[in-house]
Amino acid sequence: MVTVKLFGTLRIDSGVKCFQAEAGSVRDLYPLVLREIYAHDPGSSVTGKALQSCLVAVNGKQVSPRAKLRDGDEVYLFPAVAGG
Amino acid sequence: MTNYGGYMGRVVLLDLSTKKVSNYVWTDLDREKYIGGKAMASKILYDNLTGKESPFGEDNLIVIATGPLTGTGAPSSNRFDISSLSPLTGITSSSNCGGNFGYYLKRAGIDALIIKGKCGSPTWIEIDNGSFLFHDAAVVWGLKASESQAAVQKLLNDSHGKAVRCGIATIGPAGENLVRYASVISGERAAGRAGMGAVFGSKNLKAIAAMGDQTPKIFDPERSAAHRKKWVNYIRSHPLTGSQLPKLGTAGLVSTMQVRGLLSTRNYAKGQFEGFEAVSGEALTEEQLVSNNGCLSCPIRCTRMVKVDGKKVKGPELETLGLLGGNIENRDLDLICRWNYELDELGMDTISAAGTLAWAMEANEKGLWDNGLRFGQVDKLSQVFDDIAHRRGIGNELAEGSKRLSEKYGGADFAIQSKGMELAAYEPRRAVGQGLGYAVANRGGCHLNGGYLVVLEGLGMNVNGQTPRGKADLCMVMQDIMEAISLGGQCLFTSYGIVPGFMVDKPNSLLAKTVNAVVPCLGPAVRVINKVPEIACFNLPLIPYPYELNYTVGMKMNIGKFIRTGERSYNVERAVNARFGVSAANDKLPKRLTDVPQDPNNPKTRVPLEQMKRTYYRARGWEKNGLPGEKKLRRLGIKSW
Repeated sequence: MVTVKLFGTLRIDSGVKCFQAEAGSVRDLYPLVLREIYAHDPGSSVTGKALQSCLVAVNGKQVSPRAKLRDGDEVYLFPAVAGG
Repeated sequence: MTNYGGYMGRVVLLDLSTKKVSNYVWTDLDREKYIGGKAMASKILYDNLTGKESPFGEDNLIVIATGPLTGTGAPSSNRFDISSLSPLTGITSSSNCGGNFGYYLKRAGIDALIIKGKCGSPTWIEIDNGSFLFHDAAVVWGLKASESQAAVQKLLNDSHGKAVRCGIATIGPAGENLVRYASVISGERAAGRAGMGAVFGSKNLKAIAAMGDQTPKIFDPERSAAHRKKWVNYIRSHPLTGSQLPKLGTAGLVSTMQVRGLLSTRNYAKGQFEGFEAVSGEALTEEQLVSNNGCLSCPIRCTRMVKVDGKKVKGPELETLGLLGGNIENRDLDLICRWNYELDELGMDTISAAGTLAWAMEANEKGLWDNGLRFGQVDKLSQVFDDIAHRRGIGNELAEGSKRLSEKYGGADFAIQSKGMELAAYEPRRAVGQGLGYAVANRGGCHLNGGYLVVLEGLGMNVNGQTPRGKADLCMVMQDIMEAISLGGQCLFTSYGIVPGFMVDKPNSLLAKTVNAVVPCLGPAVRVINKVPEIACFNLPLIPYPYELNYTVGMKMNIGKFIRTGERSYNVERAVNARFGVSAANDKLPKRLTDVPQDPNNPKTRVPLEQMKRTYYRARGWEKNGLPGEKKLRRLGIKSW
């Protein structure tokens, strides 16, 4: 079981902050994240493409979307940002 | 007078000692070379300051300058600049503000205001269509920023017998009490950095109100309007300016900075804060946001309006969230919103106040200064800020800033400042180009004046933040472009449109990855542009600023000339600062950032400053002492000093 946290506009647009899921890799997570988002808001505009464009961090460190996951991992998904 | 559009054609010299108002000679040739804003101010300071003046002396000057686009309706263009000899850094510095004062200064028929001398007693000034009235400020002296503006507004309404539309720039108690990082406030916006408010206070100048019915003419109204329409549409459709900034504000960066190890934590001892989620942009939007707001003529509207004590006020920016969050180990977002409001009301820079506070907490922890301040113990900080503004107890010492305090008590290695100015919330050991920028920035430890390379090194893009390769040349070109953008009066946030959309929308794509990998190798190509920007004698839709200057102002501008103007601005500011003793020796960072790796297991996670500095000076065409020589200044059309 991993904990998934959404950040940035992905979180604001979807209304989903955090949930738990069973997944062996980040890629395996994508459909689960989409399912969670649509369960929360069936009319959500978030797409699978948008999700795959997100940057990914596992346990606080940025990783490739191909990274494997282990039980207890904390996964962050966030779109690129700029400027302050 | 001027033949250009956009300008009002009048620069005023105001002597507070004699109350004499005169016109300052500023020609169209000056306008072509310096455009306006900060560059104009730097040139005026260069022509008038000898190096013997002191920040609180009567001989110090304040230059309040607008750009030619201010008041013309160009997107995000109503900013104004305040420049002076800074009491925080001891060198000339500038502060840029999005409040409405600049717009109304132009309505009063004035492009820039040069203030010298000192009022005999507290005074506020009314500028009505170019006429100046001096008023006793006894009734407003001591008032906080919003109270002062309300009181001045009421006095104007009463004296004019009607509701007057005006722009007001005021100081709060911090400026009156010469807190070295006091700000000037206009509306809810602050000219926050470098202590411009304290210079106002030293001159017994509480506030300036400007009004009038004059408007700048547009050189080519049809083409200008058509270009703006396209530009506004682009800003609204770009993922950063059309989505991220309106939805999350600058606060949206906290989470990304956390993941990238860029979030200042525990006085920059670390780059990640365990409790970041509680003080993130997402939390601010979900728990505090009441509505968005924006500066005049801005289509981005990034301001977060929040409630403090039931009152709708401006919420904190990223820098304030970082520095009053993880950097002092605080997880209470309510408190940050409150402090942000209180600091604005007291008229104090949130960055320097927070940076000084973090230093004091660590100094206390290390036994250097027994001041009662501790990381994570934050319940009484409102009182501490009030004490700083009124210079009471330890507040009187904190009002001096971290550099002076570390000179008194020790602890320079962890005084996170450069040239006396506290750094913003970006921890540079994971973005070494940003570290170089902090060190060489003319005004001191400023993220923007430093070129803001962190936007390439982990925010908008994902360029390797640990390599020094190419960073000196990139730093220079970014500094010059950002400098040039601000000269017209425009907000730097418009420049995020320059980051190609695919870098933001598809950061995992092969193209984005290739661009990120190639950028550090672009040094030699960037060097050519830096050396001879005139080869870019064309315009591109991605860089809309020269078009705007062409159509609204009537200047024959292209990308190359635009970059050269930014370079001229940067050099003239460096040249005047040289008179106040600035050289390569002042371009430094505290040892914590240059000598101590952020990750003890990775020696690369520190800023290799000396190596990058040498390359930077070469890129700038400066001498080894870090200063522009006579030949360099001559090439830029600046008379030798």
